Formats: sequence, structure tokens, C-alpha cells
Amino acid sequence: MRYALRAEWTKLWTVPGTAWLLLGAVVGTAGLGALAAAACSPGECGADPTRTSLTGIHIGQSVVAILAVLAIGGEYATGMMRVTLAAIPRRPAVLAAKAAVLAAVVVPAAAVAVPASLLSGDTPSLSGGPVLRAALGSVLYLLLVALLALGVATVVRHPAAAIGCVLGLLYLFPIVAAAMADPDWQRRLEKVGPMSAGQSIQATTGLDGLPVGPWAGLGVLALWAAGALLAGALALQARDA
Amino acid sequence: MTTDATIEVRGLRKRYGPHLALDGMTFTVRPGQVTGFVGPNGAGKSTTMRVILGLDRADGGSALVGGRPYRSLTHPLRVVGSLLDAGALQPSRTARNHLLWLAHSQGLGAARVDEVLDIVGLASVARRRAGGFSLGMRQRLGIAAALLGDPAAVLLDEPFNGMDPEGIIWTRGVLRSLAAEGRAVLVSSHLMGELQGTADHVVIAGRGRVVADATVADLLAAAAGGRVTVRTTAPGAGAVLAEAGATVTPAGPDALTVSGLAAEEVTGLLGARRVPFSEVSAHRATLEDAYLELTRDAVDFRGAAS
Amino acid sequence: MNGFLLAVRAEWTKFRTVPGWVIATALAAVAMVGLGLGPSMQGSCGRHGPGSECAMPVGPGGEEVTDAFTFAHRPLTGDGSVTAHVASMTGQLSDDRALLTPWAKAGLIVKDGTRPGSSYAAVMLTGAHGVRMQYDYTHDRAGSPGTAPRWLRLTRSGDTVTGAESVDGAQWTDVGSARLPDLPSTVEIGLFATSPQYAEITSESIGTMSAATQRSLLTAAFDKVTPADGWTGTLVGEPTNRDRGGYQQDGDRHILTGTGDIGPAVAGATGLGTTVTQTLVGTFAALIGMVVVGTLMATGEYRRGLIRTTLAATPGRGRVLAAKAVVVAAVTFVTGVAAAAAVVTLGQRVLRSNGVYVHPASTTTELRVIAGTGALLAVAAVLALALGTLLRRGTTAVTAAVVTIVLPYMLVLTALPVDAGRWVLRVTPAAAFAVQQSAKQYDQVENLYIPVEGYFPLPPWAGFGVLAAYTAVALAAAAWLLRRRDA
Repeated sequence: MRYALRAEWTKLWTVPGTAWLLLGAVVGTAGLGALAAAACSPGECGADPTRTSLTGIHIGQSVVAILAVLAIGGEYATGMMRVTLAAIPRRPAVLAAKAAVLAAVVVPAAAVAVPASLLSGDTPSLSGGPVLRAALGSVLYLLLVALLALGVATVVRHPAAAIGCVLGLLYLFPIVAAAMADPDWQRRLEKVGPMSAGQSIQATTGLDGLPVGPWAGLGVLALWAAGALLAGALALQARDA
Repeated sequence: MTTDATIEVRGLRKRYGPHLALDGMTFTVRPGQVTGFVGPNGAGKSTTMRVILGLDRADGGSALVGGRPYRSLTHPLRVVGSLLDAGALQPSRTARNHLLWLAHSQGLGAARVDEVLDIVGLASVARRRAGGFSLGMRQRLGIAAALLGDPAAVLLDEPFNGMDPEGIIWTRGVLRSLAAEGRAVLVSSHLMGELQGTADHVVIAGRGRVVADATVADLLAAAAGGRVTVRTTAPGAGAVLAEAGATVTPAGPDALTVSGLAAEEVTGLLGARRVPFSEVSAHRATLEDAYLELTRDAVDFRGAAS
Repeated sequence: MNGFLLAVRAEWTKFRTVPGWVIATALAAVAMVGLGLGPSMQGSCGRHGPGSECAMPVGPGGEEVTDAFTFAHRPLTGDGSVTAHVASMTGQLSDDRALLTPWAKAGLIVKDGTRPGSSYAAVMLTGAHGVRMQYDYTHDRAGSPGTAPRWLRLTRSGDTVTGAESVDGAQWTDVGSARLPDLPSTVEIGLFATSPQYAEITSESIGTMSAATQRSLLTAAFDKVTPADGWTGTLVGEPTNRDRGGYQQDGDRHILTGTGDIGPAVAGATGLGTTVTQTLVGTFAALIGMVVVGTLMATGEYRRGLIRTTLAATPGRGRVLAAKAVVVAAVTFVTGVAAAAAVVTLGQRVLRSNGVYVHPASTTTELRVIAGTGALLAVAAVLALALGTLLRRGTTAVTAAVVTIVLPYMLVLTALPVDAGRWVLRVTPAAAFAVQQSAKQYDQVENLYIPVEGYFPLPPWAGFGVLAAYTAVALAAAAWLLRRRDA
């Protein structure tokens, strides 16, 4: 496992895309957050200004998903997956190493992007409990989206199709929920959707009105990510390379 | 190079939908020899190699390296080095970095990467994007990857594809010296000629199983079969030779192929009956002939004209 | 065949011989139909036996209308007029807050009987929109911006009805007049009061935006009414008005309490039911599928160097790109139109059988929505093709296309404040979703005309034009780069 980790780490940093994507995730998250915060006058940033300044997470999650999809989809696209599996025949170890390496780059990038977004916005001090929860939770949110995307890409293999599936999965629940007139169904969908549930961690006010509590919501996303990784591991194990 | 790495393939079977890819493939690759793995396209060579490397799962049978399945090896590249598809790399990574991650996966360092880059002669382009490499350069990079772990066994799938004559000669030299160092070497090819002078042993595959498994010397002896070509336009020549017990088949407007008689006997017979001829030549069998002879019935995708 | 047609034919062959693309296209259609026909909404229309069907009165123009108000009336044969002084208007919400809704109405009306949906003309005071002259549900003209107390007069002369207002009862100003040729010679004339549903956005930054709607009640006091006698009170329209409305005459003083509205029926927060746009929720899923296909038509060429074969066969690079665009647009358009047609026609049936009231859209609107959905998907696929050519990386191109089209739309639906959302739907490619709008916006009807209720800031084809403009720019850049770049 140690060697698998080392190999994946080398692999990740020897394609030029990685650095650009991480930079893109940071700039995109902080940039859109600042834009959203700037678009509303102070004191009128919706009911939850913290959340408004974290709007950039939508860009951040897309970029992080690309990174995750490419981590495995890129190898399938070129056929390099066979070289990898010939070098490391223990397939779950390959997936675990990829997940660990991904976490090791996504978490620091998110840890820069999220505070940067909050600082540009109309947020009460970072030390406040709910704001701290939103900040910490947003970092974890980006990590979990990356892991979800890694799992989906392992199952789907084709990178472009995989990113389509990931984005579809993220957007499906909120869009369908928004079109629902029945509020019960709306809340049900928001409760189980990976994005809508996961982003409830960003709420700092009106927690009673949320379909699912902040940590519980992040837990829903974690279940999605775990399920995707499990499906990926099973598919990787069962299929011919 | 530490372990004994005899590769033993026993009764592999694999089916892709209606297509039977492997149908009881059985052979052994011994250390200290170059084993050629030959067969027409679709004979199951690449599938067998993928099964040996634990990439594909066989429906039945086993493939063991030094008595163990590939997937149980801790540092597999230190036991078996392989090259399946020279194009299988991410184009934006440099050649050196491609080898570097592989080295890291086996607990090897950058020093070994530079060594194998020297061996294959890519040291000067090591820091260029592998995506910009010619096919021949990619083959060399693939061979470097196969040598990276100083393995006891080496598997190369069609290593001569896309190489210039110089590269082919170089590759043959590498294969010979690997075998001379006591490694087990398995090289697949769909052109028997490429292996002449390189392989010690040949496994010929067709329709998913082994058609022939013999040393090169035995194969050549079997294939020669004492055939003689006679160049003549005389109408009676065939009859004369057939009377003497030979099998005669026309081989063009002015040529006959004769088997069952030695060249001197043919010359003597024709001379005695005063049949005019311009040339009598004995056949020297090539591996190619032996191969065509053996795979005549086992070719899946033979063109309509041949 | 000329070169371009040959290139198109070649690209078509390429498209249909990649099973993954054909499957993705089929899946896009299936997702769109599945999400559209799924048991998404439940309603109560027609579910509680006879009488519970949601039937709306139909106005003189054939459109569905809301017609519920408290009416103090007397018959008028031939020409004549009514004059009254509106002394006060007070409003109340059903949660007991005192609030006069902006479109609460009290004034004078002349109407063809008391049947809901019949022809009328009225002059009125409103909660926040001043004096208005309205007739036959969809017509509205503003008078002065004043509020109660104020004098109003309504005069019928032949088929013309004229409304006038006055501050002091001496100096009169005409608000407007209406020609109502179908008005019979005997009509009902009198005083009315009504107050529409009141909607407010309750949460706009937590998850999906939600709106709360409640009934409002208007109590209007009239005095100095001419003619003075002969008034009958009738509670016209909906059951709520019949329960809650009321009419009292105390000498010269007439007190009318009413709830409801007189105007065109709308979908959304203050209205009833939904529109055909509702059935097209799966568009975004189809869009993601077609974006993947469009992207791969470009990036697939670069993966194994196929582009060199393609350009050897068709050296005109702009022509290759145009051929690809034509093929992917045509395939997507046909798929999108087929799926949209299925969803719009069948989806309405499913919704109605679920007891949901679906506002009937005119055939032209339905055709526009169906064709527009196909066109939206087709142009999105071409945008993806252009981005794929520009970026040469499938994953990045798919993400870029989806994020620029779907993300703004989703943010508008779920996260952004209403004003920011309207702005986003004017300038981003997501504006194109306006082409699916089937609800009609009437400024004289109280409602939340917000994107989440299906009301877009741009007219349908203008919104589509925004996406088309982005696509044109991307395609031009792709063609330019393709010509310059080594293959």
C-alpha cells in the first residue's frame, strides 16, 4: 500500500493538469464566492450571508470532480490502467491509494479556497461556531465530492461520460425538487440528494427550516461517496482490466 | 533478479460472448530461453498475456509465475516485466516521470529509472512528453518499463511493431542478452520471420490453443520436408517424376514442386529421360514456412485471396 | 454531392457507428421522458368525487379566468351610470396580519350578469397600484396613483363603458373606456370588493426557495352611492369568497368584504396548478447527455489521432467542424423534439390524472416549447462540440458546458436571491431555458413572477438567443483555432 501511495502521488504530480486544476478549484471557489458576495449589498445577502459567500463551492466541486475523474478515467482512456494493474495487482489498493492521494491534494486546496471565500464575503467572524462548521464542512464537502466522482469514474471508466454522470447526480435532486409543487416531496429529495444534503453543512441560520441537519446532510453525501467507492472497488475487482 | 520465474500456463479457457478466445491454452516459458509466441491475429496471444499478468480473469485453467498467481506478488514488476501496449501512457507525462511512478510502485528509486533509460537509449529525451514520441520510441520506453524491476521473467507483446530495422536488431539483441542472463523471456509476434534467429523455442497458437510447441531446430527440420522446385516447360516432366513415386504439383507456368525425391534424384531422372530443364533447386525451410504449414487450418481471419 | 454534404455524411456515419453515442442519445431522451412522466406531483383536483374537479371559468376571450368577488348590484337596462365614494379600504391576511395586498380591488363594475367569466368593465382603487380601469379580464389601464378616499364613476353608453375618478366629486378625470360589443342591453351594475391570494418568499438562501401563499380579505366602505337604492349582495365565484365574503348596507354606507380576484388565471404561487413547463424538468438530464456526446464528437478525434485521418479526408477544417455541428445539432434536435413532444402531451395527462391542474397552453405555445426544447438541446450540444474542439479534453469540456448552462439555472432555482437570479437569467447561457416558459405573465395579477415558478426575465426566443450567441462565439473561436493549430 505504501508503494501504491507513492506511485499514485508521483503519477498525480507528473501530469501538468493537476496543478492547474487545483489552482482552478481555489480561484473558482473564492472568485465566484466574492462575486456573489459583491453582488448583494452588505446586510442584504439573503438570509444567510455566510452561505452566499460560499456559493463558489459550485465551481470548486466541478473542478475537484474533474480532478477525481481524470485520476482514474485518464488511465482508462489511454490504456495505462493495464500498466498500473500489472505493477500493482491488488486492485482495491490501487483505488484506495488514488482516494488517499486525491484527499491529500483536495483538502489543502479546499482549506485555502473556503477561508478565502469567507473573508471576501459579508460573514460574521470565522470563530463563530456555525461559521466554523460551515467552513470546515465545506472543506469536507469538496473532499467527499471528489471521492464520489472517483467512485463513479471507476465504474463508468470513460472520463467524459463519468463527469457527465457525476454532474447529473449532483444536479438531479435540486432541480427536480425545485420543480416539485409538493413540499413533502421537495424535502424528501433534498434530504437524499448528494449535493442538496451535503451543502446543508453551509447553513448558519434557519437550521430548523432545513430538510436535513448540517452534519446529517454531510453524512448523506458521505454515504453517497462510500457507496460510489464501494461500487467502484467491486467493479474494478470483478472486471477484466 | 532473485526468483525462479518459470511461467506455466495450464488449460486457459476464456469466452467473450459467442467468441471463444482461449480454448485450453497450455505451455511453459522456461528461464534462459527466448520463447516465441506466434499465431495469427485473434489466436489468443494477447489474451493469454493479460491473463498471465492478472489483468483478465480466465474462465478456467491457471497461469502461474514461479508457482504463484501474478496477483499474489508483492512487487510484481521485480518478478515479471511486461510490455503490452506501447501507447498505454498518458501523453502529457514525460518519459522519465512515466517510469518514475512505476518505480515508486515497486519501491524503486529514480536511480533505477535513469539506468533503464540508458539501457534503452532514451536518456537524451527522458524529459520530453511521451505523447510526442514516435512509435519506435514508445516501444523502447515500454521495454524500459519492462526492465525496470530487473525481473526474472519478461513478457513482450509484439515488441517489433513500428520499429525501424535498427530498432528490430537492437530489440533482438536485448532479448538474447536477457535470456543469456537466465531470464525467462516470452515474446509474441504474428510474424514468424521476426523471431528467426532470436527465439529458442516457439509456441504457435491458433484459435485459442497451442498448435505446436517445439524448439526452433525441430520445427525447421519438420517443415523442410525435402521439397524440390524444378523449372521446366517440357510437358512430360511431371509424368516422369510421378512414375518414380514423387508427388508433383504445378507451381506456375514453368515450375513444378516435387516432394518425395531428393534434388540429385530429380536431376538424374530428368537427365536420363532427356527432359529439358533450366533449374532444379532444393527448398530450404524457413520458420515462416513451418508456421504457415502448421497454422493453415487455424487461421481465423484469412483474406479471401490467399 | 458537394464537399460539405460529403463531410456531413461522413460525420453522420461516424456518429451512428459509435454505439456509446447512440446509447447516450437514447438515454438522454429516456431520462427526459422518465423524469417528465414520473409521479412527481400530486393534486386534489377531481379526487374527491364529483364537484372536486378543478374547472375554471372561461372569459370572453376564451382564456381561463379567476372571477371571485363580492358584488352589490342592481340591474341596468340601456345606458346609465353609477357613482360612489370609496371611503376606506382595509386588508387582512388569513394569518391575521393587517395588510392591504397590492392588488386588492374595490370599485365599480358593470357586468353581464353574475355568472363567473362573463364580460365586464370596472373602475377601481387598488392596494398599491392606484386607480385602474380594467375590462374583460386581460385589459388593464392605469389612472392616477391615488388611494382611498376617492370618487369613482362608471358610465355605460351603448357598447362603451367609461370609468372616471375624482378627488372631490366635482372635478372628474376619465381613467379609460372600454368597448364591449357583446354586452346585452340589461346588465348588472354596482359596487365590488375582492382581494387576491398573497404570496411571499419565505426562504431564499436555504436550499430550494419556497413561497408561502395565503388568502387575503379586503373590507371596503363605500358611501354617497348613486343610485341610492335597490342593491342586492351576491358573493360571486369561489367557495372561499362565498364563506368569507359579505355585504352590508347601512343607510348610505355600503360595506363589502371580499376575497378572490377578477382577472386572467395564472399558474404559480397565487394561482392554481402548474403549466406544461413543469413536465420538462428532465431537460437538464438530457442536456448533460447531449453535451457529453457533443464533446466527444470533438475530443474523440484527438484521443487516438483520428483527427489526422479526418483532416486527410476533408482538408477544409472549417468544413469538418461545420459538418460535425450540423450532425450533432440535427441528431439532438430530433431527439429533443421527440422527447419534448412525448412529455408535453403525455405529461399533461399524467399530471391531470394525478389531480394536478395544468393550465392549458395554446397550440402555438406548446409547439414553441417543444421546438424550443429541441433547439435548446441542439445548441447546447454544438456549444459542447465547440468547447471540446477548443479544449481538446473531454472531461474539462463536458464540465465547462454543463457548468455554464446548467449551474446558473440551478443556482437561480435554489440559491440566488430573486434579483440576482433574474440578472443571471439574462446574461448567462441558462437564459435559454426561457424558451420553455408557457405561463403568461400578467402585471395586473398578484403573483410571484420568479424563475422557480416558471417565469423568466427574458422573452422565450430572446433567452434562447443568449445561448445561441455564446455558442456562435465559441464555434467561431473553435474554427479559428482548428485552422491555426497543427492536427
